[in-house]
Amino acid sequence: MSTLSTVPPNARPTSRPAPTTGPFAGAVAAEWTKLWSVRSTWWTMLAAALTMAATAAQLAIYAVNANTDDDPAVNPGVLPVGDIVTGSLELTQYVVLALGLFAVTSEYATGTIRTTLRCTPSRGRVLLAKAVVVAVVTFLLGLLLGGIGAAVAGPVLGEWGRAPLAGTLGDVAASAAYLALVGVLALGLAAALRGAVLTLTVLFALLMIVPLSLQEPGITVLTRLADAFPGVAGNHFLAGDTEPYPAAVGLLLLAGWAAAALALGRYALARRDA
Amino acid sequence: MITLRGLTKRFGTATAVDDLTVDIGPGQVTGFLGPNGAGKSTTMRMVLGLDRPTAGRALVNGRPYRELRHPLHEVGALLDATGIHPTRSGRSHLRAMARSNGIPARRVAEVLDLVGLDGRAADKPGRALSLGMGQRLGIAGALLGDPPVLLLDEPVNGLDPDGVRWIRRLTRTLADEGRTVLLSSHLMSEMQQTADRVVVLGRGRLIADAPLAELIAASPAASVRVRGPEPAGLAALGARLTAEGATVTAYDADGLTVTGTTASRVGDLAYELGVRVHELTPLAASLEEAFLELTADSVEYAAGPAGGETR
Repeated sequence: MSTLSTVPPNARPTSRPAPTTGPFAGAVAAEWTKLWSVRSTWWTMLAAALTMAATAAQLAIYAVNANTDDDPAVNPGVLPVGDIVTGSLELTQYVVLALGLFAVTSEYATGTIRTTLRCTPSRGRVLLAKAVVVAVVTFLLGLLLGGIGAAVAGPVLGEWGRAPLAGTLGDVAASAAYLALVGVLALGLAAALRGAVLTLTVLFALLMIVPLSLQEPGITVLTRLADAFPGVAGNHFLAGDTEPYPAAVGLLLLAGWAAAALALGRYALARRDA
Repeated sequence: MITLRGLTKRFGTATAVDDLTVDIGPGQVTGFLGPNGAGKSTTMRMVLGLDRPTAGRALVNGRPYRELRHPLHEVGALLDATGIHPTRSGRSHLRAMARSNGIPARRVAEVLDLVGLDGRAADKPGRALSLGMGQRLGIAGALLGDPPVLLLDEPVNGLDPDGVRWIRRLTRTLADEGRTVLLSSHLMSEMQQTADRVVVLGRGRLIADAPLAELIAASPAASVRVRGPEPAGLAALGARLTAEGATVTAYDADGLTVTGTTASRVGDLAYELGVRVHELTPLAASLEEAFLELTADSVEYAAGPAGGETR
């Protein structure tokens, strides 16, 4: 049926250079290059910085007002600026997690996913490479945002604020870790769901709506259930709680959610036609 | 070398590619032909590991694409969708591809030069690229890893005549270097000038896999032109040919065009009947005619009771 060519397979005069990196290092480098070569990355970081500054200022103003009004029952007293930073994440995280979200949804929206998967056909490898880049970038961004939040909250709080160096640095580092894990959670879900709107909706539900609804009635079982959700677990970690579980468990729970989302995303990528 | 064995892809009840077994060998340009929806792009996507086959295997140099560690060194591809981010420059796009496969950055400049994209064009964001520039960028990406196998889906789309000639020369050079080149195009005239061999699909099935020249020679669309000064004699010749099962496709005062026979047979008959002949020309079918004949058969076959394809 097929006529054999006289040229033996793969006999080519050209000599090509051997790959200079392994496939995983290459995939990470490619993801890094892609992230910094689109404008949306810079806009997202700018938006996150502005959101953090505005939210930290607002929370600090609330704290000062509560300390200076006539009702001593809700008087929070002198606050560590780190509390304002971690409190500001509730809103700021939705901007930061866009970095994880876009790493996948923009590829599907523009068709570049087909190029990406041709370059790195192993679905697990490509998703892990994206996770490394998103985690590193959101962690570093988290450190920067923590610095911005503390710098804004300090002067606004004035006499009602205190900023012990170790405590503040600890809160900033914890905030960065929280944002990195939420970023990876967003990445994994985006890989499973593909669309930005759907993924964001599911993230809202997981981080806020469902646990809030569970906590609302004040029934112990439901509250315990809410404690297992990623946002609540992350908050227990950020607050350094000892109840209902130690802060470290909160961190592990959040990390577990991120890992599960990645596993789900990898499964979906491997099954689905690109 | 691309090896397809029983390759099948179904989307729900629709069969896009149906039990396709074919080898696409090195050292020649293989044209991939078929009407829209025949399964050409789906086949290419399965070769590239983008779509999962429902059954069968698609191998590149003996291995499934998804198992390749540095695939750009093995297979280069241009898909019909150019697939570049609207705000990313072509250069960054290629740089990311190069990094993913451990290809040195200087190779990006080399392939940009090779496809004729200058520095200004390469730094434009994706949304500012014309279709032709996008195609050139896609081809640059395909050549990045200097691969022995190339899959080009409609590469001349959006190119100007210069670009079309360039693709023709490029694919020829690549094949002459011993590479496997699979090229799909809906432009038959283009394919006729470029391909050495053609693989024709219809409704996902293999209809033909043959050297281009053979396919055209075997086509029932090949015809013979006879011209002479005696209308009555030509009419008699036409009647005699028709009686033998040939078809007269054109008849006018000074000539006949006949299909389903050969020039020698027409000449012999004219001699036998004593008809004066001034011209006797065998006309080769075009690839387009050969293709239409082939795919018309496949449509009839698929629509018949034996086709088994339901919607």
